[in-house]
Amino acid sequence: MRRRDEDDDDLEPEEEDDEDYGEQEQNLDDELEEEEEEEDVGRGRSKSKRRRSEEVYEDEEEYEDEDDDYGGGGSRKRRNKRSSGSQFFDLEAEVDTDDEEEEDEGEDDFIDESGADIPDEDVGRGMHRSTLLPREEDQEDYEALERRIQARYAKSSHREYDEETTDVDQQALLPSVRDPKFWMVKCAIGREREVAVCLMQKFIDKGSELQITSAFALDHLKNYIYVEAHKEAHVREACKGLRNLYTQSIKMVPIREMTDVLSVESKSIDLSRDTWVRMKIGTYKRDLAKVVDVDDVRQRVTVKLIPRVDLQALASKLDGREVVKKKAFVPPPRFINADEVRDLNIRVERRRDPMSGDYFDNIGGMLFKDGFLYKTVSMKSISTQNINPTFDELEKFRKPGENGDGDIGSLSTLFANRKKGHFMKGDAVIVVKGDLKNLKGWVDKVEEENVHIRPDGEGLPKTVAVNEKELCKYFEPGNHVKVVSGTHKGATGMVVKVEQHVLIIISDTTKEDVRVFADDVVESSEVTSGITRIGDYELHDLVLLDNNSFGVIIRVESEAFQVLKGVTERPEVSLVRLREIKCKIDKKNSVQDRHKNTICVKDVVRIVDGPCKGKQGPVEHIYRGVLFIFDRHHLEHAGFICAKSQSCSVVGGSRANGDRNGDAFSQFKTPRIPPSPRRFSRGGPPIDSGGRHRGGRGHDGMVGAIVKISQGNFKGYKGRVKDIKGQTVRIELESQMRVVTVDRKCISDNFNTSTPYRDTPRYGMGSETPMHPSRTPLHPYMTPMRDAGATPIHDGMRTPMRDRAWNPFAPMSPPRDNWEDGNPASWGASPQYQPGSPPSRPYEAPTPGSGWVNTPGGNYSEAGTPRDSGSAYANAPSPYLPSTPGGQPMTPNSVSYLPGTPGGQPMTPGTGGLDVMSPVIGGDNEGPWFMPDVLVNVRRSGEESIVGIVREVLQDGSCRVVLGLSGNGEIISALPNEMEAVVPRKGDKIKITGGSLRGATGKLIGVDGTDGIVKVDDTYDVKILDLAILAKLAQP
Amino acid sequence: MFFHIVMERNMQLHPRHFGRNLRENIVSKLMKDVEGTCSGRHGFVVAITGIENIGKGLIRDGTGFVTFPVKYQCVVFRPFKGEILEAVVTMVNKMGFFAEAGPVQIFVSNHLIPDDMEFQSGDMPNYTTSDGSVKIQKDSEVRLKIIGTRVDATEIFCIGTIKDDFLGVINDPATA
Repeated sequence: MRRRDEDDDDLEPEEEDDEDYGEQEQNLDDELEEEEEEEDVGRGRSKSKRRRSEEVYEDEEEYEDEDDDYGGGGSRKRRNKRSSGSQFFDLEAEVDTDDEEEEDEGEDDFIDESGADIPDEDVGRGMHRSTLLPREEDQEDYEALERRIQARYAKSSHREYDEETTDVDQQALLPSVRDPKFWMVKCAIGREREVAVCLMQKFIDKGSELQITSAFALDHLKNYIYVEAHKEAHVREACKGLRNLYTQSIKMVPIREMTDVLSVESKSIDLSRDTWVRMKIGTYKRDLAKVVDVDDVRQRVTVKLIPRVDLQALASKLDGREVVKKKAFVPPPRFINADEVRDLNIRVERRRDPMSGDYFDNIGGMLFKDGFLYKTVSMKSISTQNINPTFDELEKFRKPGENGDGDIGSLSTLFANRKKGHFMKGDAVIVVKGDLKNLKGWVDKVEEENVHIRPDGEGLPKTVAVNEKELCKYFEPGNHVKVVSGTHKGATGMVVKVEQHVLIIISDTTKEDVRVFADDVVESSEVTSGITRIGDYELHDLVLLDNNSFGVIIRVESEAFQVLKGVTERPEVSLVRLREIKCKIDKKNSVQDRHKNTICVKDVVRIVDGPCKGKQGPVEHIYRGVLFIFDRHHLEHAGFICAKSQSCSVVGGSRANGDRNGDAFSQFKTPRIPPSPRRFSRGGPPIDSGGRHRGGRGHDGMVGAIVKISQGNFKGYKGRVKDIKGQTVRIELESQMRVVTVDRKCISDNFNTSTPYRDTPRYGMGSETPMHPSRTPLHPYMTPMRDAGATPIHDGMRTPMRDRAWNPFAPMSPPRDNWEDGNPASWGASPQYQPGSPPSRPYEAPTPGSGWVNTPGGNYSEAGTPRDSGSAYANAPSPYLPSTPGGQPMTPNSVSYLPGTPGGQPMTPGTGGLDVMSPVIGGDNEGPWFMPDVLVNVRRSGEESIVGIVREVLQDGSCRVVLGLSGNGEIISALPNEMEAVVPRKGDKIKITGGSLRGATGKLIGVDGTDGIVKVDDTYDVKILDLAILAKLAQP
Repeated sequence: MFFHIVMERNMQLHPRHFGRNLRENIVSKLMKDVEGTCSGRHGFVVAITGIENIGKGLIRDGTGFVTFPVKYQCVVFRPFKGEILEAVVTMVNKMGFFAEAGPVQIFVSNHLIPDDMEFQSGDMPNYTTSDGSVKIQKDSEVRLKIIGTRVDATEIFCIGTIKDDFLGVINDPATA
């Protein structure tokens, strides 16, 4: 670009471009200011194409342009030969390349020429005019000029000019070792631009003497300027004699970082009037402010704030009194009233702003208008991103200026709320700005800033690209929406009113109306309750309050909880703030109901007394003898009822029923889950069905639980958890005979009234598994037989297994041979289980189910209760200890039982197998624990349980039951799943329903944990048996 | 809106119901099971008007239950957006009022009540016009327009408006 003088006419078009500001500049006196002006323009332009190394040249360009304007295009800095992105620059680059050879010839040539030119141009700014004049004269030459340019342009275009820059081309543009380097030169802070301009001026003055190629200052870099030169010495030379430049430390920018120096981050802060911003520093930190004026040049904005002025302090300060500085004190925001201020003897000056013509009150150097403080601050001290003004703040801003200061739902608010990428395909939108205002449509595609919408209407193009800023989400009353951000995040509801960009929605759960910004919501059919947690406290937590009262959180509001107090006389709800809550009560204790049955959390109780008589539901919390019961059908207080434990009775008899059933089930499960240590280490719910011996077998607590699938394809289905693997849960559907895998998040397990976990500690570990297979109507096959066969087994078999998992001692995991050869005796010993050909069965059984149910069943029960051996190692006197080996065959690996079908068995024990199974087991009808003369609780769906006596066990597993304790009531036939055995208490006559003594009667003379000490009637032997295989005998 | 449609359902019947009255048993069980329920798709089943046909029963393995496919005609009620309904006010509070049109609960927010009606709290909360000529309170009958429905699997909830021509109180028990 040197020798511009020669090529001056060639460059005319370019100068034409610059002419307008060239002219402006003439009017300005201060050269520096001109420079700044120029740079601003340059900055604006550079926004369009950044991240390119050409930036360097672009910047230079500006200087050059200026040069031209000043000096008629005479002296130019030496241009670098690389072409830049825009045509405009390319043109110049072209010129450069033309001169390339000359350039290469040597610096002298260049210096001489430009040096010669300088005096002319240096005459002064008067030259500006002369610059322009010849230009005008040249007007007619344009065509010729154009041709010439074209010629040059065409000539070299294939050589170096690359409009369609490929990556490779771009790479080629990167600075190489032969190019001049950047040198960082320290300068006085705030003088960066000035210094750069000085250098430029020096160049103009001295021209070729300076061997630097460029100098520039970056806005974001204080204290340094960059100088481009080949050698450090050149830089030093150039900087010599300049004020504010410190050449002691000149640092070279590594080539790799050179491009970074001049790449501009796209940090386009789009500040415009009426934008909501937040203050970053000072007294007003985090306060909301509204931009009223922007001064881009000085990087300052004037904002409107709600004043935080301590008038008292101000008054005393103005009076010259000593002001006690209280550091931590920040005056609360309030509006300033001029009269009030005058009352404090503070002088209020009323002044007219020359620019806007508005009147301001000047109080102590601060400007106020309409009660607001108008403050001019640096752009750096405000933040413009993620403002999210709340309604409260906006309301405040609106308050004093009733004179139409703007609605809350104004556009400025709208944009202050915007987050990136909040439009999604399919959103209904409306154009709120520009020519297309009020056009409705649907989002089709979102690009960075532009949103393609499918307009709603005839004769319109298929899609229209609209700037994001011109769009707003659009809702109509009746839409069901979900709030996705802001204070009400998570809530869902129906739109009842649309006020510009503010929606009023009726929350689904509370039926209250909520104001939200249209931008904060999306259309959704989901129903949620919104926030359920503040701090450590969550919905439905039991909390201890300040005054030592307690209650359960029944609702979470934005800053407070609604708590149903633990008062039993009448429901008492109070609004409690976070700080009023002392702590969460997480105790798992138990109490006794009016029949002295133990109630613990999750037991289903019926309220038999008091205001809520007749209600029924699971106990959620127990504290100080007060129960919090959750009744789904209770509409008030989120379904919670508070009742005294004494006025409730446990539904479904007492605990052991559930236990035995549960045992049966989990037992059934256990073998399938290889008790690998991995599982153990996982940690899971503290209460855990299978975890009695180990204290928690990880998440297996959920295994066997009846859950409801709340999301996804199987939404609404109920089923039993078969297995949990990471985040997925395999559920055996009740309604379909199959096992599906769903995400863990998609299930709700609180669906079952008697949920699987109970309080383990109380019962001692053993009997806890509270599954109720006998109740699950859809698993009929598993009920009686399983129960019968399983219960006894279970405990037995599980123990050894566990042990095996943990103790690698050989005796615990017998090889299969053992099984075959070692225990024949044991087979023979369990008569009940061998009506068929028991030994063969385990091998032939078509499914794992049968294998497990039958074989081990026989095995274990016959072997005594091996469980004893497991859970009560220490229980030396137990006569069954020796028989522990009986448990051995129960290697958890199904393969050993079913050599033929090793494949999917461990995983698909479920439906198919079981289905096939059922008849098999059915035939084996001795199995179930239902035996004649046993007392049972008959539960029919929806009815209260009735005590009855089993008279007869029918072939299909159902029983004929005589209702009533005395056996004189109605005779009904009950399905196994409708019955639960009545758990015997100490001193009761019992019947043994499993094991070798099955069918024998006896007396329960003691209970030890999960074991009952039984005196058998016939032999007068004292045996220790699992409670689960003991059933209360009807009184004759 | 009411519809008279044919629906199908598989009825599971316990063996004890078999016998001469099998058909009656099926029908009575069907009525017990179905009437008054709500499905998101069809709305509330108001009444069963007839049985089209009862298919062959299938005995379920293991249980002895028998499944009969039953086709029946029934009247269903499903509210639609934009529909005009007459409903009885059941509860009034400052947020609006709840009304019921048969099994459907409709909420009319105070934003959807004409602006000249103000909420009056007290023993009998109500919405009253400034001149007191119109009053909405519990048991009032109102005509309203449904502007939105929320359909769950087992429930239909509606939002209504009376802020439109010819909507509002049609019969007031207080004045009647």
